[in-house]
Amino acid sequence: MGEPCPPHPHTHSGAALSLSPVLWGWFELRWAQGGPWGHPACGGAAQCHQTCSAAAGPAGLAANMKLILIFSALIGASLCLETFVGHQVLRIKTKNEEEVKQLQLLESLEHLQLDFWINPSGPALPVDVRIPAASVQSVKAFLESQGIQYSILIEDLQDVLDKERQDMAESAQRQRSTSSFDFGAYHTLEDINAELDQLASEYSFVEKIQIGESYEKRPLYVLKFSTGGSNRPAIWLDAGIHSREWVTQASALWIANKIASDYGTDESITSLLDKMDLFLLPVANPDGFVYTHTSNRMWRKTRSKIPGSICVGVDPNRNWDAGFGGPGASNNPCSDSYHGPSANSEVEVKSVVDFIKNHGNFKAFLTLHSYSQLLMYPYGYKCTRPDDYAELESLGRAAANSIRSLYGTTFQVGPICSTIYQASGGSIDWSYDNGIKYSFAFELRDTGRYGFLLPANQIIPAAKETWLGLLKIMEHVRNKSS
Amino acid sequence: MPGLRASPPALLLLLALALPRGSLAVQQLEPGSRSAAAAARVALQYRNFQAGSLGGLRALGQVRKATLKNIPESGHKYYLQFSTEDYRTGEDAGNCLATVLFPKKKSRPVVSIKCSHTKDQKEIQEEDNKFYQRIRHQSKPITASNIPDSYGNIEPALEPVWALAVAGSSSIMWEKSTETLGYFLAQVKSARQWMRKDDFIEFDYTVLLHEMPTQEIISCHMRLTWLPGQPLKVKHFCAPEGHGAEQGSGAESGSAAGPAAEKGASF
Repeated sequence: MGEPCPPHPHTHSGAALSLSPVLWGWFELRWAQGGPWGHPACGGAAQCHQTCSAAAGPAGLAANMKLILIFSALIGASLCLETFVGHQVLRIKTKNEEEVKQLQLLESLEHLQLDFWINPSGPALPVDVRIPAASVQSVKAFLESQGIQYSILIEDLQDVLDKERQDMAESAQRQRSTSSFDFGAYHTLEDINAELDQLASEYSFVEKIQIGESYEKRPLYVLKFSTGGSNRPAIWLDAGIHSREWVTQASALWIANKIASDYGTDESITSLLDKMDLFLLPVANPDGFVYTHTSNRMWRKTRSKIPGSICVGVDPNRNWDAGFGGPGASNNPCSDSYHGPSANSEVEVKSVVDFIKNHGNFKAFLTLHSYSQLLMYPYGYKCTRPDDYAELESLGRAAANSIRSLYGTTFQVGPICSTIYQASGGSIDWSYDNGIKYSFAFELRDTGRYGFLLPANQIIPAAKETWLGLLKIMEHVRNKSS
Repeated sequence: MPGLRASPPALLLLLALALPRGSLAVQQLEPGSRSAAAAARVALQYRNFQAGSLGGLRALGQVRKATLKNIPESGHKYYLQFSTEDYRTGEDAGNCLATVLFPKKKSRPVVSIKCSHTKDQKEIQEEDNKFYQRIRHQSKPITASNIPDSYGNIEPALEPVWALAVAGSSSIMWEKSTETLGYFLAQVKSARQWMRKDDFIEFDYTVLLHEMPTQEIISCHMRLTWLPGQPLKVKHFCAPEGHGAEQGSGAESGSAAGPAAEKGASF
């Protein structure tokens, strides 16, 4: 009762007169008994349509109908301000000028409170009219008696308005949700997965896909950014392969939102996604990530059981099939850089390998780590230069310059082996040796003051500057991937 | 004397022969090189410990120049020029010149270091006194854990406790460092103050060190005493690596190995 009717473009403001059901019933009865106005007419039910058209002459019945409508409207006004319950919208198809004139007559009866969405003007054009609930039957009866064809566009307008309001509320709720997700804070796996759902539901070109399961059976979710095409050249980006490097998962979320929300307005992002697809894996090691929340903030590896050892977990960035088992990885299961029993033994690694191989059209492989502020390309497993050294070094420097342009943060550029240390079984070595030329690994902020425990107020600055570096690389890849 | 005047070239030759081969092997390093940065870090760890000052703690800025010299029978010696930042604020703190010798025989690095400063001594002393007072003014012994917490937060009240841990753990990190192994303070796991009758401040700490390039997390126990203007006194013991201690991604269950004698331990 206290709720105002939702505003509608076609609504007349003010009261709509309608006949109470009791009075209407009385009139029906009178009619059926052959009432004071002569010929029994249809009570407006659709089943009468044919008989009505045949039974009574158009002019006489129209006049009767007119009087009935006038009476019913004048008597027993009941207030209906708040809802459009039972209101119907009809589309009337006139066949000739005569029928148009009839509708114009109807239109002139103001007390009927008919709301013409498309006014009767000529026989060729349809006429749309909203009819208050109480008038629905009588108007239909009139149309039928005149042999004027109509169809029901909206059965019950209130239903439509209710649904619309619900949609708007849900959309607003979604708006609140994605804009209320705090990208400048660290989140649990549940919250991150919920945000992935939000992004996928809010943006038509964003899809959440599952590429596999972790050791402890957690889904490995990838966000696919694709504006069309079929198996377009693609870019891979992952974060959190080492679970304690929290700024990377957090940055990946910010980056996902940045790309999704700026597509269509940002020239660079738009031209990138118009040509290429992007696949983003924000939490590459969900088991480890959960463990950093529940048990040990410094956990790095996966959580797989190792046969014959009391120690748990494999360093997922020593487990790729690139110089596997070589220098820079440990064969001790208790070590934080344990390479695992065999290459791709970790399902978290194998899932990515299989996905990328099956896709077959990846042009770039980018991975986020922390900390140290480095921007590296292959190789790690050997200290010799890759064939594309010159191009990768140059592109790396350009990306590092982009990063520095924002807050002055300096990233060292170079091959893994000389920039950080020799390390075998790394992901970008694998991707490079498997034909993905643009393979880069980032080590984000800081350089050791906070290390893994980077304060949350540095998440967004870190994400923003890193994004500039990533974008620089992606633009280059796009230009080269015509 | 005609004989001498005639023989300078011969003298030089003699000199060259007399010196051991390869002793003049000097290598310019890229300022961005990993080993140069690691050596500079060791030098700063040594200074942060030796200076015994919380207000004067510094972090590495950028390496400007680096040279590596092989000294046979001795070890590798780094000659470094680098900029520094205030550890807490990140502000420019001045430049340093340092040498770092990583001995061939397994012992701690030998460091000499001299720095310019942007803050004058008086200012640093005042900050130290402030830190000191903040700790002394507590009526009860301070206990704390997880500094910073998982989210990188350090409670303002605990900042002096953290700074003291940075200074103290610097001694551990300097002593453990080698040319290939470096350390960062990952987290102060626990801190417990011991009240003293004299003016000294005394704390027990458990600190987690992040070891590179192994990526291991080493747990160390540290007992230190401090008075502004006095050198820090630190005793430490680090848990043996690789098995037992689950600080990084090591063993799953509790420690099976007992505490073994660890080089550098001084309990």
